[in-house]
Amino acid sequence: MAKKDLASVTTDLSALASQMPTQRPAAAPPPPAAEPPALKVVAPPPKPKPQHEPDEITQFSLSLRKGLRKQLARLADEADMTMRAFVLNALKAKGLDVRADDLVDLRKDRR
Amino acid sequence: MSIITIATTKGGAGKTTLARLILARAALAGLKPAAIDVDFNHTLTDWVTAVAKYPITVRHELDETRIVPLVTELHETHDLVVIDTAGAASQATIFAIGCADLVLVPISPSAADIVEGIKTVNLIRSASKMLRRELPVYAVLTAVQPGTNIAEHVEREVAKANLPVFPTRLHRLVAFQEMSFTGIPPTSGVAGVQTTNFLDELETLGAWPATTKLAS
Repeated sequence: MAKKDLASVTTDLSALASQMPTQRPAAAPPPPAAEPPALKVVAPPPKPKPQHEPDEITQFSLSLRKGLRKQLARLADEADMTMRAFVLNALKAKGLDVRADDLVDLRKDRR
Repeated sequence: MSIITIATTKGGAGKTTLARLILARAALAGLKPAAIDVDFNHTLTDWVTAVAKYPITVRHELDETRIVPLVTELHETHDLVVIDTAGAASQATIFAIGCADLVLVPISPSAADIVEGIKTVNLIRSASKMLRRELPVYAVLTAVQPGTNIAEHVEREVAKANLPVFPTRLHRLVAFQEMSFTGIPPTSGVAGVQTTNFLDELETLGAWPATTKLAS
């Protein structure tokens, strides 16, 4: 790679730099060379496996009166839920086996 | 172009995260990257030394008189040099800016980030005048939470301040945080896509070497 000529940088910027504080360590003995940092980091544990065997996802559509859909949208919004989660919650109350991961807001994944 | 300085006088805006992303993805792409850590906290140095999974050269340097010679030296022997500055204006930051082919100013969603981002861009523009050459500078919006009022507000404020903004927004995503523990940059999922877009835009600006020019 070609040598970059940065020789003028120090001269050109010295006036501007002189208005700033220095970070230069005081005349202290230099730190021991190439000492490994005393930093201990641990990788996060692997993601927990789902509690249930993955079930195939399927889709179905639902036809509703416009007014009913509007009501559903409003109620879901008031509950800070997606319409999907709102409906599933209602079905859960009726005894359907709706699990926590069924209620995840999938919109966030799609962004 | 191959010297990228990441600077803002505000701490915690995402400077080191950006540096990690660029360096790790460069190494992963087969390039030979080098980092200069000008931060007192030597967070980037520690990460490269103890966590990063790919070969990256790193030097911790606080002495402003050594910044320019060090950049010159590393530029000769590496494809890409990334300088991570301290979260405060200092002489070392000025010289790191002066060496750059591109300066990135990360801004996360807070009023202080915007204020310090504007100050930093003004400082870079002053340096550019004194150097009598253009120093390309872009604000990079980090930790973005899309669809929220605060995200929209930050966009408006940054536009009002007439800051040039990098097209890709980096969202507040777990994968970016995980990288500080695992040393592995995101290559898939939303974080991976955002990182790839970010690097593509660096390449468009000429700040990303497409192929290595150095023998390994």
